[in-house]
Amino acid sequence: MTLDINWRRWRLVAFGGFIVSAILFVAIFANVVAPYSPYDLDVANMLAPPSGAHLLGTDELGRDVLSRVIYAARISMMVAVLASMVGLIFGTIIGSVAAYFGGWVDMVLMRFMEVLFSFPAILLAVVLMAALGTSVVNSMIAIGIIFIPGFARLARAAAIDVLRKQYVESARAVGMSNTRILVREILPNIFAPLLVEAAVAFSYAVLLESALSFLGLGAQPPEPSWGNMLNVGRGFMANAAWLSLAPGMAIFLTVLGFNTLGDGLRDAFDPHLRD
Amino acid sequence: MLKVIFWRLIAFAFTLLVASAILFVTINVVPGSAAKAALGIDATPQALARFNAQNGLDQPLIIQYTAWLGQVLQGDFGHSFQNSVAVGPEVLRRIPVTLELAVLAFIVANLIAIPLGTLAAMRHQRGLDRGVTGFATILGAVPNFWLATLLVMVFTLKWRLLPASGFTPFSEDPIMNLKQMIMPALSLGIISSALLIRIMRASMIEVLSADYVRTAYAKGASEKIAVLRHSMRNALTPYVNVAAVEFGFLFGSVVIIEDIFLLPGIGSFVLVGIINRDYPVLLAAALTITVVVLIVNLIVDLLVSMLDPRSTAKH
Repeated sequence: MTLDINWRRWRLVAFGGFIVSAILFVAIFANVVAPYSPYDLDVANMLAPPSGAHLLGTDELGRDVLSRVIYAARISMMVAVLASMVGLIFGTIIGSVAAYFGGWVDMVLMRFMEVLFSFPAILLAVVLMAALGTSVVNSMIAIGIIFIPGFARLARAAAIDVLRKQYVESARAVGMSNTRILVREILPNIFAPLLVEAAVAFSYAVLLESALSFLGLGAQPPEPSWGNMLNVGRGFMANAAWLSLAPGMAIFLTVLGFNTLGDGLRDAFDPHLRD
Repeated sequence: MLKVIFWRLIAFAFTLLVASAILFVTINVVPGSAAKAALGIDATPQALARFNAQNGLDQPLIIQYTAWLGQVLQGDFGHSFQNSVAVGPEVLRRIPVTLELAVLAFIVANLIAIPLGTLAAMRHQRGLDRGVTGFATILGAVPNFWLATLLVMVFTLKWRLLPASGFTPFSEDPIMNLKQMIMPALSLGIISSALLIRIMRASMIEVLSADYVRTAYAKGASEKIAVLRHSMRNALTPYVNVAAVEFGFLFGSVVIIEDIFLLPGIGSFVLVGIINRDYPVLLAAALTITVVVLIVNLIVDLLVSMLDPRSTAKH
């Protein structure tokens, strides 16, 4: 029984890890892997169906769809990683400060986090983009802000657990400063669950980034992003279905990879959560 | 119980106040852009200043916010910067469209999640269970706007069964209305069922292993009786909590789907506000969605406290 559970858990991590590493590899080495430049126009070859020369066909300006999907992975990964970092860093600071100081600091910070959490994510993302202006960097910030409350809640819960430990009492007893206790004793001990959450946040960031680009609020053409490619593809569904299929499949595989990796890691850290 | 309701309402009012402040500050934090959007990029500085003065945009944010909040509390959402039309009545016209979409999507999600989650639990750790869990994992990774595109490809372009977009009120032509609503509802509902399948499965697995269900089996009850009569009700209680919250989530995630299918709901009104930098429109639409989501969450919270007193014990 134990062996079976370990094997299943390992299989999930391996499957998710494989997809995620493949996409990360493609994103990092896009200039080596992509057969063409994502910006090269080829007017003689507009809306060409998939062929040996263009494995996923070409778009309405004759650009190679495969190369654009590959380069778009860079934007998605960059946004996913940096947005999750924004959420992770600020969420961890807010959550651990709330837990450490307790009282009204805890109440004010966490009530504010709850209000942020109560907004539907896509609505908040769209409103933040309206304020910040449309760009890849701003979509990173907007998505990062959406992640802060989730990380803050988790960090607070984990920090409250750590605060009961004897080594924190000892640190207080020997007169360590609050900042030092937070940085040296609490943060390192609450990082594991937060990193697992980050894997799940990655997948959500990929979905949100592509949604924003789809609405024209994220990456702007001609910069390739899966969301804006899908949006353009909508106009050519009848005669060039590959324009919608390729970027959609890329989003799907990336989200699936991060989700299964996150699920697997979560099982590995806490087997009670499996069912 | 009354005490619980009182405190929940206080918390609700506080959340709503802070949420409205967050929305207002976020949308108004960039000074001058509304005037430029309304008057065009060639507008003179004098014209921009006049526009800002007329609309109170030259006042400090806190004064703008209190003035706006005072109006909103009296049911006045102001006028569109673009065409001076009153925003409130337009919001009211659009709410039923979004509500219909959210309700239909919610029905789709539950029609998929309850039977599949139950079947998976009945065949726990067997082939069917793994199949259903895998299916839910796959659905959880599909973006709803991609599913919408795929549905249009199949149902409109290939089989020519459904219109690609548009909206006809139910009162005018019910058949046409449903034809236009099927794909948007499926796009939202199918994706939403991914979470609900998992919740239903987990909930049913727990109930099926309870002593009273084993007793029912021991007394000779068939699987159908054990599941439908003895387990379903108890398994549905925790499920309904999550499902109700999911309804609020559905209402909040209509922005893209309404845009794709050209539905004149509150979600597409948000985009109208953004594209035109029409702050009164954007604020009214975003606030309406937030209020609906918060009200749904409040109702769920209160119902849970009534159905299960243990959940309020800590208060």
